[in-house]
Amino acid sequence: MSVNLTGSRSLLSPDRAFRAIALMAAIATATTLAIIFIVLVAGSVPAISESSIPELIAANAGPIFGTVATALIAIVVAGPIGILGAVYLVEFAPKRVAIVLTFIVELIAAIPSVVFGLWALNDLSVRLRDSVEWWIAGSIGKILPFLSEDSDNPAADSVFRAGFLVGIMIVPLVVSLSREIIRAVPISLREGYIGMGATRWETIRHVVLPTARIGIIGALMLALGRALGETIAVTMVIGGSNDVPASLFQPGSTIATRIATTLPEAGPEEKSVLIALGVILFLVSLGLSLAMRLAARQTAKITASVK
Amino acid sequence: MASNKATLKSAAKATGSHTSTGGSGVKQGRLASAYALELNNVEAFYGNFRAVAGVSLRIAPKSVTAFIGPSGCGKSTLLRVLNRMHETLPGTSVKGEALLDGVDLYGPNVDPVRARRLVGMVFQKPNPFPTMSIFENVISGLRLAGVRSKSELEGVAETSLRKAALWDEVKDKLSEPGTSLSGGQQQRLCIARTIAVKPEIVLMDEPCSALDPVATLKVEELIRELAVDYTIVIVTHNMQQASRVSTTTAFFAMNEQRAGYLVEMDATSKIFTNPKEQLTSDYVAGRFG
Amino acid sequence: MRFTALAATILAIIPLIALIYFVTTRAIPWLDAALFVNNPLDNPSGISNAIFGSLQLTTAAILAVTPIGVLAAIYLNEYASPRVVSWSELVIDVMLGVPSIVVGMFAFMVIVPQLGVSAGSGVVAIGILMLPIVVRTTQEVLRLVPASVREASLALGVPVWKTVIFIVCRTAFSGILTAVILAYSRGLGETAPLLLTVRGTFAQNWLDFGTTMNAMPLTIYSYSGAADSRTIGQAWAAALLLMVMALILNIIVRARTVNSRVA
Repeated sequence: MSVNLTGSRSLLSPDRAFRAIALMAAIATATTLAIIFIVLVAGSVPAISESSIPELIAANAGPIFGTVATALIAIVVAGPIGILGAVYLVEFAPKRVAIVLTFIVELIAAIPSVVFGLWALNDLSVRLRDSVEWWIAGSIGKILPFLSEDSDNPAADSVFRAGFLVGIMIVPLVVSLSREIIRAVPISLREGYIGMGATRWETIRHVVLPTARIGIIGALMLALGRALGETIAVTMVIGGSNDVPASLFQPGSTIATRIATTLPEAGPEEKSVLIALGVILFLVSLGLSLAMRLAARQTAKITASVK
Repeated sequence: MASNKATLKSAAKATGSHTSTGGSGVKQGRLASAYALELNNVEAFYGNFRAVAGVSLRIAPKSVTAFIGPSGCGKSTLLRVLNRMHETLPGTSVKGEALLDGVDLYGPNVDPVRARRLVGMVFQKPNPFPTMSIFENVISGLRLAGVRSKSELEGVAETSLRKAALWDEVKDKLSEPGTSLSGGQQQRLCIARTIAVKPEIVLMDEPCSALDPVATLKVEELIRELAVDYTIVIVTHNMQQASRVSTTTAFFAMNEQRAGYLVEMDATSKIFTNPKEQLTSDYVAGRFG
Repeated sequence: MRFTALAATILAIIPLIALIYFVTTRAIPWLDAALFVNNPLDNPSGISNAIFGSLQLTTAAILAVTPIGVLAAIYLNEYASPRVVSWSELVIDVMLGVPSIVVGMFAFMVIVPQLGVSAGSGVVAIGILMLPIVVRTTQEVLRLVPASVREASLALGVPVWKTVIFIVCRTAFSGILTAVILAYSRGLGETAPLLLTVRGTFAQNWLDFGTTMNAMPLTIYSYSGAADSRTIGQAWAAALLLMVMALILNIIVRARTVNSRVA
């Protein structure tokens, strides 16, 4: 609470001094963010003034495509599993089971991404290649070229595998955010529906999920933002090719991996381009974070009006 | 570091103001006036809203004064004016004079922190510090004022706990958490904590309303005992409690602008049997409030 | 329908189990004393410099970041007006969402020119990532301290600053410790920012932040593609160590928060 004291206080009183120190710490924190933003934007200016934005995108189509593709694949993988998992944990699971399973799911988020990368490189990649990729390429891939692969020589790394891996990594985030949102749906809404004779699942489908929809979309956006920024695990399984791959089952790159692998040795022009790409990444993930907050606020409004 | 015996007068003197009474030849620790507490036209505001209108009253030393009246007529607000807690809420202000031993609590150079040490408060819901033991709770005010000597702290702790009628119940478990006690015991712990810093006045804001009847009686008995050493002002909604515990009673009501004002103040027996104002007798008879 | 949802939950957990199993089985054959004591250029080689490098970097960062973060949280919770608090939540949200590669890039552009490719730069980079965690978590625990505690302290005649430090922070101490552990856990696992600032080394540099240092994530990353079985084995061993550390720290954090919620 803020304190409003009458009477004269000397400028150096301990109260004033402490408050000033705390304020400086708060300002320092906010300033850090501002400095990061300013420095990055300034660093990207040369690249943007050199060539127009469409030209930049065309020249870096590979990483941009890779970023979008891996993020989308990640959401496709993590979304349904995460949301359904959250539904199970909140609506169906007995209390003890829910606590234990939630705990385990959240542990996934604790594992450093480089460990995920190492595992994926040696275990997941191989499994995916031999099962999912082979299956999809063998069926739909015959028709859709971007899902095809050279069955005699399947690639060692692929965009798909990177996306899948990131999906696995963001599942706990989707689960924990969705859980909170689903839990926030007021009991009165559910009771009203059940009172009319609906089953648990019907209540979920017709009452809980629609109410939570906005919040869940927000959660997915936040998860998407996190997926976009994932660097090291992706670097280890995506391959590092700079072009737009012919198929998802071929190697590729993302903005993050490009920056990580080429920034230290880049020349001034290339550096500026990379920084510009980084700014785009930053802005997109910022936008997604804000979208999530907005969505959360909307959900809060809806649930509050119900009460 | 001034000891806890420092009166407000010496605090004011240290910061360069002059006292509002003639005060020549008055020694430290002696009463400068016949009254422990004297309010002259005190008003309290929340922003622009006047919650307490022009209250003037006098409280005798080592007495128990009850503030009674219906809800919302500013009794608690007035209490918080007396220990300069009202101003800790943003946007609040106070007008008028509140004289403690003849020295204005709201004088221009008065340090509110010193004022609060001399006017203690016990709250409605017992609030022992959660992470501290019973012992640590009792001496918390002292320790934070800079007292280091272990023997002094232990001595004060025992004295205060005895005065709060809690010593026998806790003397073997002083290192247990303060929150492990029952509600009534916690409140007595808070009382012990308050008197450990040796205030002149002890304010109590409905101290028994969160307690069961047995604990309530114990605390009421304690209040009567404490009046030997301290001046006590207690806000209460329970009229029977006021008549059991206090020697003087002040009855407050709300005027048309929803500000609280003092209707009548007199000896408790008079207020409850033969008050001067009709409003008072109506309230006491339970016809409203 | 309940079973589909249950299946989803199990599916979410399977990778975790597979990963733990895989890493553990691949790493165990290589866990010997030399691993912990020797450096990459010794014979037999070890990853001692990576282990202690990680600990030094993360510890230095947490020591720098905790005072700033806690003080900032104190200001926001005890002194700031609601409007400032609302804006600050936005700022911290954004900071929490900055991709670590972007922070690494920033450090590369601004800090490395000043401090060189050194441990110092690495400390700044991971410090920036750890700061918002400390601020946000500390703010949340300070908020949980009830107003009655502050009131009780002020009524005893304790000045505001002492109330904040000795009463409020003391009450929230357990939570602040949790914030620190959480931030530390994040700092240990970061790779990308270190790639751009410290880069790793074969040497063991004790407490010398002016030069390069090694770190476990860097070792894992650079050894991951190795052909030599001992090198790859060390990558697995480092991965196991890192994973175990991260899991233990997080389990500790969860155990602490569950306790306080029960109370």
